[in-house]
Order: sequence, then C-alpha cells, then structure tokens
Amino acid sequence: MNVLIVEDERQLSHEIEIFLTKQGYQCDVAFSGKSASEKIYVNSYDFVLLDIGLPDYNGFSLLKEAKQTAKESAFIILTARGSTDDKITGLDLGADDYLSKPFSLLELQARMQAILRRKHGLKNNTIEINGFILDIQNRTVSFNNTPINLTKKEFDILHYMALHKNRVITRVQLTEHIWGDVLEEDYESNYIDVHIKNLRKKLAAYNNADFIETVRGIGYRLNMAS
Amino acid sequence: MKLQVKLTFYNAIFQAVIAVAIGILLPIVIERVVYNHIDKRLHARAEKMMKIIQIGGLDDIIKDQECSYGDYNIFKEEYVSISPLSSMPANFGKDTIENAEVNIENTVAKHRVLSRGFLYDNQLYKIEIGEGLSTVEQLKLTINKFTIWMVAIVMLISILMNMTLAQLLLMPFNAIITRKLKAIHHPNTFIEDHIKTSTYEFAYLDQSINEMMIKVKNAFQIEREFITNVSHELLTPISILQNRIENILSESNLPHEVALKMVESQKTLVRLSKVIKALLYISKIENEQFLRNEKVNLKAVTEEVLEELEDRLAQKDIRVVQSWDEEIELSNCNRSLIHTLLFNLLSNAIKYNKEHGEIFISSSHPDNHFQLSIRDTGVGVEGNHLPYIFDRFKRFRPDDEMSFGLGLPIAKKIAIFHDIKIEVKSEMATGTEFILTFLTIASR
Repeated sequence: MNVLIVEDERQLSHEIEIFLTKQGYQCDVAFSGKSASEKIYVNSYDFVLLDIGLPDYNGFSLLKEAKQTAKESAFIILTARGSTDDKITGLDLGADDYLSKPFSLLELQARMQAILRRKHGLKNNTIEINGFILDIQNRTVSFNNTPINLTKKEFDILHYMALHKNRVITRVQLTEHIWGDVLEEDYESNYIDVHIKNLRKKLAAYNNADFIETVRGIGYRLNMAS
Repeated sequence: MKLQVKLTFYNAIFQAVIAVAIGILLPIVIERVVYNHIDKRLHARAEKMMKIIQIGGLDDIIKDQECSYGDYNIFKEEYVSISPLSSMPANFGKDTIENAEVNIENTVAKHRVLSRGFLYDNQLYKIEIGEGLSTVEQLKLTINKFTIWMVAIVMLISILMNMTLAQLLLMPFNAIITRKLKAIHHPNTFIEDHIKTSTYEFAYLDQSINEMMIKVKNAFQIEREFITNVSHELLTPISILQNRIENILSESNLPHEVALKMVESQKTLVRLSKVIKALLYISKIENEQFLRNEKVNLKAVTEEVLEELEDRLAQKDIRVVQSWDEEIELSNCNRSLIHTLLFNLLSNAIKYNKEHGEIFISSSHPDNHFQLSIRDTGVGVEGNHLPYIFDRFKRFRPDDEMSFGLGLPIAKKIAIFHDIKIEVKSEMATGTEFILTFLTIASR
C-alpha cells in the first residue's frame, strides 16, 4: 500500500510516516502543494492524506486536480480549520474521508481500512475472534450463529480493538473513537471501563472472553493470533 | 414625545404667540392710522371754516342770541360748532384734538373733536369740529373678530400641515431605522445602500450608520479569520504531540512507568484540545458561522440523542419518561446545533443524576409558545450558583476535577442563536429542570 502524506508541518508528517510505516505502508511525503501535485502525477498512490491548509496551494484545488490525475487513489482530508463547510466541500470534491486535527493515528488507520473495504467491496466483511464473528457490514456479533445483543457503542469498541489487535489502546483513544465528535470534557469518567465490563460479561456468556486484556493504568488490548 | 408632535407643538406655540401679538397690535395700529386720517380731515375742515369766516364774516353764520353756531349732518356723524369764549385759552392758536362724548340733540355719541380758539371782531371764539367714531368703533370690533377667526383657522391649518410635513420629512429617518438597524440581526446581513433623502442630516445619519456597520462587519470578518488562524495555530502543535505520544506508546520496549506518564499526557492533551475546540465552537456560534436553514423534528432529534446516550442511561439505570403533546417541527435552525443543545442538556441530566434516577422530557404550550422541559432527579444546583450555571469556566462541584463546564455555556449560545429562551430551576437533592421556550422557530 502506497501512501502520500501531504503535510507542510514536518513534525506531523514525520509522526504519521513513522506510524504508517510500522503498519506496513509505503510512505512518501510532500511538504508543499507543488511537490504533492508533481508526486501524484508521477506515482500512483493508494492513499493521499491531504492537509487542506497548505501554504502554497489551495488544498481544495489540489484535491480537484489530483482527483483528475489519480482516479484510483483514496483521499483523506486532514484539516485544522475545523469548519463544517470545509468538510462538506471536501467530500463534495470527491474526498473519501475527513479527519480534523488533532486526530488519533489509530483513527486514521481505521478510516483507511474502512475505505479499503468500501473501495474493494471486500466479500469477507467479518472478523473472527476466539469463535466470535464480527460482521462489519451489519454491525453484529454472533457466536455459533447465535447473535449476541451488543449496544452500538459496545460493538464500536470491540470492532476498534479488533482493528488494532495486539496493541494497547488507551482509554483516551477509545473515548475519542466513540465520543470524538462530542465536545465533552468528561475524561475521568469510567464510561469506557463500564463498557468493557459489560462487553466482557456479554461475551463470556458464550465463550472465554479473556482475549480482552486490561493493561493497568493504560487501557485495553485485544489479543489475537494473527 | 415624538419629534413630529414636538415640531408641531412648538410651531403651534410660536404661531399662537405671533397671533396674540398681531391681535393686540393690529387694532392699535389701525386705530392710529384711522385717527390720523380723521385728524387730517378735521384740520382741513377747520381751515376751510376759518376761510369761510374770513370771507363771509362770522355774523352771517351766527344768527342766534347766544352768539354761537352749531351744524350737524343728519346722522350726527359730523358737526361744527362755534361759540364765544370768555377767556383766552392756554393753547390759543393751536388745535387740540381729543375724543369726547358729545351730546347732540339728546344723543350721546363718541366723537373725535378738534377745537381751536380764534379772534374775530375783538371777540374770542372757539370752533369745534367733530367726527363721529361709531364707524371706527365698529371697524375695530370687526377687525378684532376677524383677527381671532383668522388666527384660529390659520393655526389649525398650520398644525395639520406641520404634522403632515413632519411626517414627510421624517420618512427617510423611519426608513433608516427599520431597514438599517431593526432589520439587521447580524452585521453580515447588512446591505450597504443609501436611503433616498434630500435632508442633509438624514443622509449624514445614513452614511454614518453605513460606515459603522462596515466597521462592525470588518471586525466580524477579522474575528472569523482569527478563529480560523487560532484553530490552525493551536490545533496543529497539539496534533503533533498527540501523534508523537501515540507513537511512543506503541514502542514495544517502553517501560510501564513511562507509558503511564504518556497516558496522563495524552489525557491532558485531549483535554486541551477539547477546551480549544469548545471555545472555537462558541466563537463560531457567536460569529454566526452556522447556517440556520434546516427543518428539524424536535422529537426525532431527542430520540437520536437518547439513543446515543443509551449506554450512559443504562449504566446509571436511569429511566427516561417522555410526554409530547404533539410533534414539533422547528424551522430556520441548524440541525447539528440543536442536536448538540439537547445532547448537552441530556448528558448533563445523566451526569448529575443519581443511580436509578429519572429524566422527564415534556412539552407544553404556555402563551402560544412551544416549551420543552428536561428535568432530572439529580443532586441539584445550589441557588446561589444557579445564575452562573451558563457562564464559561464556572465550576461548582469540587469533585468535578476535569470538568471545565463548557457544555451549558455552549447550550446557552445555541439557544440564543436560535431565539430559544433557556431557563433553569433547581432544588437541592430533588433535581434540576431546564426549560426551553422556542420563541420563533417552532411550528405545529
């Protein structure tokens, strides 16, 4: 998978690059709209992560232009302007998704995977964890064809952890994923812990749910042989 | 007092003063003019009489024993009398003219009388020539009456004309007030045009308002740009730090203590970014960067929010009791803002509720306005804190360490933006009630 990171803030593009490289993506970086335009013209990328606020280029016109040359690429807009108009404009111009800064790298990866699933119409839209089957499409979980009644949030948590299996996800990351759009400040709340507790209880009724591990003081990890 | 009335009133007073002055002065002037004419006539007649006496002699005229003569015209309007004098008058040779009541053949009437002494045949005589003043008196009366009527009519016409004129003159002023000030709810909706007027002052006012509104508009524009810049300048470094922490956390050989510190930093960072985002959100609402062009079914949005909050409700085992007397559609609003408003109020109602508590959502219609009440059975807010509950950065509960309480200020801003009145009632240990009154946007 080839990714072009178009971001004039070098430290930020660097962090994204480190993360994506670790996840097995081939990363290329452009610090200006001009160089991005050239790179998109020459190379073919699966993903273009595009910062809208570039110093030399209007991000939207770059997007418009790039959509012409790189029809196969998926575009994710990154912006710190945080305006809903920007979001609408971006999506109207054919961007596949939109992330406002600051965003979690795990969220970025989840969005990229969702785009891949959508683009390639993956038949296998299920994840299997210890006998539990997650149907991503229909957002259901079942065990031995018996559906398990999870709330939306519980499903989201399980799905997010499955996407980032075998790595610790902090409570903040989980909260941001579930409540990210909401301007709430309730970070000491134990909502996530309660969700996990309920999730474990519901799963344990069918099979061993030990694969959800608590990492003391930090968060949770879903252990799964890959 | 209205300027129109004031102008008319002052004008009327001014005219009344002038009218009274004319009413007083006019008869006096007329009297003087008339007397002047009469006096001239009397002098002329006196001269004529003297000539007649010189030519024809006095004896022809005076025929009776008393050596006096009197002649009157038939209406007793004029008369001439000559009578002998026993002593020399002080002003001999000069004419004296005065008004006198003269008895002519048993009729007393006011006359203007010229008297002159003269010497004839070594005998002193006095000649009196009189002219009746009854016509003059009549004239004075007529003029007075006429003046009063005239003044009254002129005043009436002038008041009416003044009223109309003032209204006409003030038309551009009213246009300026309605179009330039009252109709403007936000500087961005201000249209810089000119109200038609030939009055310099109103053109000046119009121009000044235009200039002021352009300044305000620019200030809003600057604020808008500032908001965009602040978001960019503050959120970008936060973004860098947050991603770096995530990368550090994913390092495989990271000591646990360091990881713990990183998690704490992550929390702080998220908190910081939430505060910035919340403040930007408030600024954007205040700067009217949200459109109000959507229709929203209030009940549907409430259901949506409750669904979003179902886990939190379940965790505290809170029962939601809804009673809607009818479906309410809101127009001219922003769906996402209304959603946030309800979310903030309901999440607040959960947060400060007790375990196994209740939330009552009910609608009503007092005074023809649609009202929505959200009442919880929670800890309540102390009475002295209640007025500040919508203020930014007020925090009352010491156990709320992380809360900086921007949920309610945001709710308030959204309410103001939508012309919704938001009120709060609370009783300690019983619960808090938020009442939304939809002043303009609700329709059945």
